[in-house]
This record gives sequence, structure tokens and C-alpha cells, in this order.
Amino acid sequence: MFTASLDGVLLAGAIALLGTAALLPVVAMALGAGHRLPLHALPRLLGALGGALAAAAAAAALAGSESAPLEFWPGFPTQPFTLGLDALSAPFVLLFGVVTLLSFGAHATVGRSGSATLSLHAGFALALLVAIVARHGLLFLAAWEGMTLLSAALVSHEPKSSRARRATYVYLGLSHLGTALIAYALLTLGAHGGWSLEAMAMAFASLPPGEAATLVWCLTAGFAVKAGLVPLHGWLPLAHPEAPSPVSALLSGVMVKVGLYGLLRFAWAAPGSPPEGWGTLLLLTGLVSALMGALYCAVESDAKRLLAWSTIQHSGVIAMAIGLAAMFHAAAQPDLARLAMAAALVHIVGHGLAKAGAFLAIGEFARAIGSRDLEQWGGLARRMPGMGVGAVAAMAAVAGLPAFSVFAGEWLLLQALLHGTSAGAGQLRLLAPFAVAGLALATALSLGACAKLIGIGLFGRPRSEAADAARECSALVTWTVLVAALSSLAAGLLAPQLLAILARPLAMMLPGAAPGGLSTHDGITLTFAGAQASPLGAVLLVALLTVLASLLLRAGARNKAVRRAPSWTGGTPIAPRTQYSSLGFARPIRLLVEPLFRSGEHRSTTERGTRYSPLETRVQSGTPRMFERPFVAPLVRAVLLLSDQARRFQSPPLHLHIACLLLTLVALLVWGRG
Amino acid sequence: MIDLLLVPLQALLVLALAPLWPGLVAALQARLQMRRGAPVLQPYHDLLRLAGKETVLSEDASWFARIAPALAMACALVAASGVPVLAARVGLGFTGDILMTVGLLAALRLVIALSAMESGTAFGGMAVSRHLAWSALAEPALVLSAFTLALAAGSTDLGLIAATVVGSPAAWMSPSHLLALAAMAMVAISESGRVPLDAPSSRDELTMVHAGQILDLSGRHLMLVTWAMQVRTLVLLTLVVNLFLPWGIAVEITVSQLAVALGVWIAKLVALGITVALLESITARIRMFRVPEFLGLAFLLSLLALASDSLMR
Repeated sequence: MFTASLDGVLLAGAIALLGTAALLPVVAMALGAGHRLPLHALPRLLGALGGALAAAAAAAALAGSESAPLEFWPGFPTQPFTLGLDALSAPFVLLFGVVTLLSFGAHATVGRSGSATLSLHAGFALALLVAIVARHGLLFLAAWEGMTLLSAALVSHEPKSSRARRATYVYLGLSHLGTALIAYALLTLGAHGGWSLEAMAMAFASLPPGEAATLVWCLTAGFAVKAGLVPLHGWLPLAHPEAPSPVSALLSGVMVKVGLYGLLRFAWAAPGSPPEGWGTLLLLTGLVSALMGALYCAVESDAKRLLAWSTIQHSGVIAMAIGLAAMFHAAAQPDLARLAMAAALVHIVGHGLAKAGAFLAIGEFARAIGSRDLEQWGGLARRMPGMGVGAVAAMAAVAGLPAFSVFAGEWLLLQALLHGTSAGAGQLRLLAPFAVAGLALATALSLGACAKLIGIGLFGRPRSEAADAARECSALVTWTVLVAALSSLAAGLLAPQLLAILARPLAMMLPGAAPGGLSTHDGITLTFAGAQASPLGAVLLVALLTVLASLLLRAGARNKAVRRAPSWTGGTPIAPRTQYSSLGFARPIRLLVEPLFRSGEHRSTTERGTRYSPLETRVQSGTPRMFERPFVAPLVRAVLLLSDQARRFQSPPLHLHIACLLLTLVALLVWGRG
Repeated sequence: MIDLLLVPLQALLVLALAPLWPGLVAALQARLQMRRGAPVLQPYHDLLRLAGKETVLSEDASWFARIAPALAMACALVAASGVPVLAARVGLGFTGDILMTVGLLAALRLVIALSAMESGTAFGGMAVSRHLAWSALAEPALVLSAFTLALAAGSTDLGLIAATVVGSPAAWMSPSHLLALAAMAMVAISESGRVPLDAPSSRDELTMVHAGQILDLSGRHLMLVTWAMQVRTLVLLTLVVNLFLPWGIAVEITVSQLAVALGVWIAKLVALGITVALLESITARIRMFRVPEFLGLAFLLSLLALASDSLMR
């Protein structure tokens, strides 16, 4: 059936394991054997193994093993369904494998609904993997839809929560809008040529340029929904936090990246494309997404939603890098295009790892407390120290500190933007300074968000009884989170190596470009045009100096012991409420962008007493949605209005029914003739 | 060989001289206000006194509070080791990148901010939230103004930038250079907690920003963090004088050039100190709510600098 190459076997194994993990609980429950099988441990183990095999397959593919795709006949007369790992899908599969391994490691659920969740989790992971490795248009669409539906089921896994229901509706609605656009484009291409990806690329070339460009724009918009780019992001901050945290890690770490994979696979790789203006639009959209995501991330009080906004920010950063690469590519500057594309690929892997770790750690705290509201947290780093270390590291990674994986991508992108400012074509030269400004603003804002999440959520005194009672969870979960943080650290420290690993995908995306310019001469230093940054060197130096400073302190001190004493709060009695709140923490940032937040839902009413000496004050606050009011709300109103009108035809008199049929028939005949 | 030795030497120099600058400014200010004031070396005495004191930690603090002071100092020192202090080319190239420097300063800011929130008092959170919101504008302004100079050098390497500015004597007259210098100076004022944004001598807990973050530290921890903040101030000032006005910096590494560079660097810092002391004596602190306007101005100036340079190129 297939030639037995190493990565092919590994890939088939991963798919088989994930499939088994998904089906096992269902079959066992159907047979009534649920109580006899270890229904939590076994699928979890199989899923984790599947992830590990997928990562191994990707590693083999990145190392240069070129395998024939796996084939099977779906039973209807098209070309066979094929699955294969090429250079472009390999980094995504690598990210998928590592995050899946971690997410199954941290998925500790119990009970009957728990095993259903586990089964959905495995099914969702399988759909993700197939979407990345599908080499056949219809298979890709099927996996894409499966990915959406299974994750929607996971988003609504708490059926009693109205918030989760709303999130599921919005998610399904927006996703299907995107899927419709993608399906239209892929089906058109498939009808012209064939269903394999190669045949689709040929079909692109044979279409008239105008029509091909339309298809590319359709694909771009469709994939931008999944990638969470503004203004198509509305579902992401609603849906990602509602899923169980290990699934949130997959959603934010991998599924968003699959949207970007779609952009690269179908829109970038189409011959003759990207069309005029594609890069510029992507750069601008990415810039707006990065800024909006960072801003909302800084003012959000819901811990998991904060992370979801940060995902929008980083997805925007990656879109900026891809757009920039396209602009350089169009201006025939291969070295710079390569630099920007390297930034995109490094950031995809780097952010995926960092965000997965952050979701696993923060989600575990949310589970321990039973609330995602930061105002209920506090004092958790002392009560759950292991998880606290993981969370601090993961959040430092998300904020883009030099030791961690996000820094390298941003470093490369800023280098590309600098050279775009000095050497880019006219339009780019105008845009690049603003892009630098936006990226720097977004990064600085995300540092504030990170300090808020850790400082308010994990440090200080517990703000609720649940937070006071929180204790370290199972050792396996804690270790998984620590390994996630470590993997993000390793990817950051060895970023030059990561770049070397990504050489094959880069060469495939930009065949003409020589590997000049960007180099990693000693294996630990990123070098471009005289600028050098070595995260490993800097971090080793910091670590060395930290140890040295603490040793010197200890040696030189007269009284070595550190005394513990209660905090002093200016004479007022110590209580959880004397701490700064998450809302108060975000206030100065809100003030910075007052005009944007003027419509903010922040109301403070004095219940008793006067304005100047209030005895009781009620404060209500929420984040205003600046894109939903002008863009999404009219759309929703229009859909509702249309469906109201359509209801009239649902049970019409018979003659109206027949008239409708007749009209449709005539319309079809006219269209068919024409 | 001397290249490699120069890096620790420069870092040690910054470490040793860091407390001197605030002492100098305070002494000058006292003179201007017809007071006798504390001696110039007072910050050294303060550090020494703190080193002998007992270290008290809040009961609510976690493991992070124990490593935070040393970590803060390490970040500040590594940032200092990458900045061109005496020589334009620094042997340890991998930290001499403007983005790496910004990243290390951001790490330092995060470490101090988090350690301020460990004790769970309102003052720490208040000071941290203000500082981070201001830095959200100051940090991009720093990146943008450094990028303005990096455009001419074609690289983000700090040494290359300094050497390029030295090599083109007329370049500093260009409007973009001056705009970037203005923005950079505003950033240095903001990040080192001086008037008109923050008053280093203020003891009013409600309005402290930089001092508010070290309110809950004591003893050796307080000493290290105070010192680290002083190193950060000196790093930022060195960036101002040695990137934007780098005359006198050693382009080749010879003993005579290094000696000249040391003298010029100190003279430039003293001149900057006199300017700051004068400005602080004649200006008042601005209202907290107007700080975003000040920093927004810095941000826009730097953006204007970069955009105009890119367009006139």
C-alpha cells in the first residue's frame, strides 16, 4: 500500500493511535464495558504516544527523509485520498506532536463525561493532524470541518453554562463562514483540475488571472477566520477559554497555526500569487490584530481569555511576518523575504510552545479555584509552587523575554522591518516604521498583561477561600507543565538551531533565495547584517551572575537568615481586598487609550453615602468590543432579519410552494444554458 | 584579548559608578536650592548601610521573592555589558544588540514589578501598574529612536551604530537624529524615575512609582534592587550619550583612546547630571493623568524620526 519509509510509518502510527484513543471510550461505553477498561489512563496514554510519533515523523521529515505519501481509496471515484509530510507541513506537525503530547499529559479528567471529553480531545487532535498532512482537497475539507465540529463540541463541554453556549454559536457561525469561503475556492479548483494538491496548483495556473486572484482572496479570508485575525477574530476570545485547558492549549497552540498553514499552503503556494496587495493587506491586518490583541490582553480580567487575546496578538505578529515576506518577494528581494519568512516559521513554533504551556498552567489554576476571574485568585505561587514555576516561565515566554521562544521570532521580524524601512520598495518603506512602532507597542503591552496575570493571580494574598484552599495537583500534570515551560525555554535558547531545522521548509517556500544574509555561524548566535543576538549566551550570563550575586550576598551578610513578617499596609488591617485588583491594575493602561475605550462598560455608582465619602460603591466593568459594534452587530442583525423574512416561506400555501419550485427551475435552466 | 577583558571591565565600571550619578544630581540640587544637602557619595553609604541590615520578607511572599533581587541585578549587569561605554566595538557581540538590550531591560522591569507584588499590598500594585503602563509607551519609543540610528548603520548592533555616528560628523544635525535624541532623553527620564514623571525624593506612598516598587523590600534585597535600578539608569544615560552623541568613544582599542573615552564619558554624564539637576529645580512634577501625554509625545517624536528618516533616504 505504501513504501515503508520512516516518517510514513511514524505518521501512520500516530494516526492509528489517535484514532484508537478517540474510538476506545465510545466503543467501550457502547458495549457496556466502560467500568472494566482503564478508560482514562489508556486513551490518554495512546493520545500522548500518538503525539510523540507525530513529532518523530516531523523530525524525520525535517531531517530530509522524503517519503511517498500514504494512500487509501475512500470508495468513491476520485483520486485516492493521500496523506503525506512535505517540508511545509513538517514544522506544523512537529508543533502539533509536542503540544498534543503535553496536552494529553495534562488532561486529568474523571467520570463518565470525562472519558467522553477525552474521546473528543483525541478526535480533535486527529482532525488537526489530518488537516495538516492531507494532500487531497476533499480530505482536507473533511478534516477542516471535523476540526471545527469536534472543537465546538469541546467548547460546549459544560452544557449548563450560557457563556459556553454563546461561545459555541459564535464559533460555529464564524467558522462556517470561513469554511464556506475555503470550500468554494477548493471545490472550484478541484472541478477544474483534480483533487490532489499538485493538480490544484495546476488548476490555479490554468485559470484566468482575475478568477485566480478572487479564489486566493476567498482562501485568505477563510483561513484568516481560523487564524483569529482582526476583524474576523470575534470567536477566538469567546471559544478558546471555554474548552478544557488541555484542549485550549491545542486550540491556541496549534489550531490557530493551522489557519496560518492554510494561508501558506494554498494562498502563498498558488502559482502567480500572492496577488497584488496581498502582502500589504496581511501586514496591515496583522498589525491591527497584534495591537488589538495586546491591548485587550492588558485590560482583561479573565485569566484564560487574557491568554486568548494574547493568541490574537501573536497570530497577528505571524501574519505581519508572512505579509512582509510577500512584499519582499514581490519586490524581488529574496534575502529579506527569507528573513521575514524565517521570522514567521520560528514564531509559529515558538509561540505554539509558549502558549500551550501557558494555557496548561493557567488552566490548572483555574480548575483548582473553580473560577477564571483574576479577582478570585491570589497567593497561588506559594500554595502550588511547582505549577507556579511553570506558569511564571510560560508567561515570561509569552511576554517575549530574551530567554524564551517568542523572542527569536520577534527579533527576526524586527530585523526584517528595519531593512524594509531602509531598503524596501516605496509602499513598504512608508509602512515599516509604523509596523515597528505597532510591534514594539504590542510587545510592551503584553509585558504589562503578563505582570498582571502573575502578580495579581499568583502572588500576594488569596482573594477567595477557594484560592486559599488550592493545593498542588497531581505530580504528572505539574511535570507536564514544567516540561512545557522547559520546551519553550529550549526553543528560545536554541533558536539558531531551530532556524537551521527550518531550512527545508524555508527553501520550499522561497525556492530562489540563497541562505545568505541570515546566518547562525556558531550555532548559538542569530546573525543578520552585523547584528548578533545569542539568547543562550545572554541567559547563561544572567544565570551565572544571579548565582554569583546571591552567593556574595549570603557570604557578606552579618545576619544570614531572612525573617518573615506580616505585610505592612499603611496601618489598615490586612485583608484580601486591600490588595490591588486586576481591574485597578489595568486602569493606567485604559487611561492611555481612553478614546478607544470611551464606550467602555465601566460604571461606578455610589449606593450609600455621598460622592466624596462613599459608604458603599458598586463598580461594574467589562471590556468594550470595538470591532463588534460597527462590524459584527449589523451582520448579525441582517441575518436575523433575513431569517425572520424566510420564516414566512416555511409553511406557505401550496400554490406559493409550486411557484417557488417553478422559479427555481427556470433560473437553473437559464443559468445552465448561459 | 583586551577585547574580551573590556566587557567585564565596562560592566564593572558601570556597576561601580552607578550610585554616583543620583548622588551627584542630589548634591547639585541641594546647592541650587541653597541647602548643604547630603554628600555626593551618600548613595554608597546607603547601600553599605542596607547591606548590614536584617532582611525581612513578607509572610505572603513566594519562592520568587528570594531570587528576584539577584536576578534583577544580573539582568541589569548583562544589559550593561552590551552597551558601548568606552569602546564602540565590544568583544562580547551577542549582547550588544539593541533588541537584546531592550529585552534585558524589560526582563529587569518584570522582575522588579513581580517582586513588588509579592507582599500583596496596594502600594506595590499601584506603583507597578503605573510604571508598566508608562513603559508601554516608553519602550517602543526607545526601540524606535534606536532604530532611527540603526537605519544609517544598517544594523541593530550598538557598537556599529555608535561607530557609524562617529564616522559621519554631519549626520547628527539631521532632524531625524535630533528628534530621536529628544525621544530617547524623555525615555531615559521616564525609566529612571526623575521629574517631571516621578520624584526620587518623594516619600508619599500614593504617588511613588519607582520607589513604590521597592517599598516592601528590606536589607540586602533592597540594596541589590536599588543598585540594579541605578545600573539601569546609567545604562540608559550611556545609551543617550554614547549612541546619539558618541564623540570621544574609542573606535580602536588602545590604552590612550580608552583613557580619553573614560574621561569624555564621565564628563558627558556630569554634564547630563547638571542639566537634570537644573531642570528638576525649575520644573514641577506633572499630574499623574498627564504623564501619558508626555510619553505619548516621546513615542510620536521617535515615530516621526524613524518615518522621516525612512522617507528622506
